[in-house]
Amino acid sequence: MRLQRVSLTTLLIIPALAYVAALVIYPAAYAVVHSFIGPNGRFTLANYEALVPLGLKLAIITTLVVSFGAIFFQLLIALAVASVIAKLTRARSTLMTLVIIPMGVATVVSAVLFSFIFQYPGGIANEIMRSIGLAPVYWLNPKHLPIVYMSLIIADSWKTTPIMILILYAGMLRIPQELYESAAIDGAGPLRRFARITVPNLRSFIGISLLIRGVSEFNIFALPLILVGYNPPFLTTLTYELYSSAITVNESYASATILLALAAILIAIVYRVQGGRR
Amino acid sequence: MRPWQKALMYILIVVILAYFMFPLYVLFLYAFTNPHYTFFRSYPYLYPVRLTLKNLLEAAAPSLSGPAIKSLVVATLVGLITLALALPTAYGLSKINPLISYMVIVLLFITNLMPSIVIAIPIASTFVRLGLYNSDIGLALAQTLITLPMAAFILLGTFQSIPPELEWQARIDGASLLKAFYKVLMPLAAPSIAAVYMLSWLFSWDEFTFAVLLSPISPTLPVEIYISVDRGNLLAALALSFVLTIPAIVLVVLMQRYLRAEYLAGGLKG
Repeated sequence: MRLQRVSLTTLLIIPALAYVAALVIYPAAYAVVHSFIGPNGRFTLANYEALVPLGLKLAIITTLVVSFGAIFFQLLIALAVASVIAKLTRARSTLMTLVIIPMGVATVVSAVLFSFIFQYPGGIANEIMRSIGLAPVYWLNPKHLPIVYMSLIIADSWKTTPIMILILYAGMLRIPQELYESAAIDGAGPLRRFARITVPNLRSFIGISLLIRGVSEFNIFALPLILVGYNPPFLTTLTYELYSSAITVNESYASATILLALAAILIAIVYRVQGGRR
Repeated sequence: MRPWQKALMYILIVVILAYFMFPLYVLFLYAFTNPHYTFFRSYPYLYPVRLTLKNLLEAAAPSLSGPAIKSLVVATLVGLITLALALPTAYGLSKINPLISYMVIVLLFITNLMPSIVIAIPIASTFVRLGLYNSDIGLALAQTLITLPMAAFILLGTFQSIPPELEWQARIDGASLLKAFYKVLMPLAAPSIAAVYMLSWLFSWDEFTFAVLLSPISPTLPVEIYISVDRGNLLAALALSFVLTIPAIVLVVLMQRYLRAEYLAGGLKG
């Protein structure tokens, strides 16, 4: 009876595991292996070397700068928003609902909306600049990367910050109120209480949110594709461009493998930092 | 709170709402304003002038029906395939050692961290061979990768919270395993099952990466929006964006209770 039950429950789990093996593990291994295979079917590094003149270095820099910039920006906003909502005495859930609505908006749509906002010449951001008396800015000028990166970070964070707000808010609700009360009696101001009580108590929640957002951030694809095309390239858009244009699909596997390696390194770092604390 | 702190709070709330609401305001403004007053102007009006339905009716119409039907069919399939895979998995996991079931869930979430574009290209070449390229079912099978961990996690929690005595009683009364599952567990888990279905539907409705790589010739709505942008037809992109966004916002507001970080982990990638 017992043996029978064990085998039955295992049988129930197998379809999902087989599905994941067939559609994740096999394709990923296939991409990595084929990134090292040349047209003659032998081992080669040529697919990787071919990426260098196509802007590999810039793609890596862009991916890293925008990813880390975006998660840092999102962390700051999410901390601020979650603290404000946690302090409210009424209308908490209304404000939360309004703030998380962007989560449901498709990335493609947010890219279209921000392409209107960051339009040049003209556009909404520039109209606002003009109304307060500032000169217009070419927000997505591929020759001026810091401004492009900043615009992409702002556009990306609109849709992706809400999940971080949800995580940090859940963490803040778990901090005992007595800690704040006794700190206030001891004369600690709001900023000090935030730095000494809120942030240390949120550490594991911050870690989780950085892991979740960080890995997804390396994958941003639709947003740069629509806002800036292939210039500057991201590892994702470079992979897609190679896939749709290159003679050999194996070059796109090489670019994909680099993306995969970066994501794996990030997971390992966060895991080490998180694990060290426990 | 001191008065200055209160004032600061109000300012912060206004700034927060401005950031998260403004792009949606842009969507409504541009969708219902004659484009000569918005993005055809070098300096667009930031308030509604000459409201019109023409944008939506004319720009969306020619390219709407095919992609909209495709999106609806694929999202429905994703909801169904997700449940077909997640229900037995979650039930099986609820019956074994919690440590092992936890490890299986973690494994599912880790596979979810895989960049979609990395696996989408090999999947595309396999699908070409299998005849699944551009098909509804092929795309749905790939998009279910995103929804499966969240679904298994929500349903596992639900099954674990149902007292096992209820199921035992049904079995003692002579019900088969399948019947006990169907008659006892399913009704109790119905709200979670509905939530999983709707969340999966929403993920598929918004998804782009798998859609553009696995079904570029018969596009879904998000892919059609990208194609419109690529051809320079911003008016069509805008109108289609409006159509895509309305159901998504409704679902987010309805599903707010289930939009919890631990459920969504990888589900919201770009």
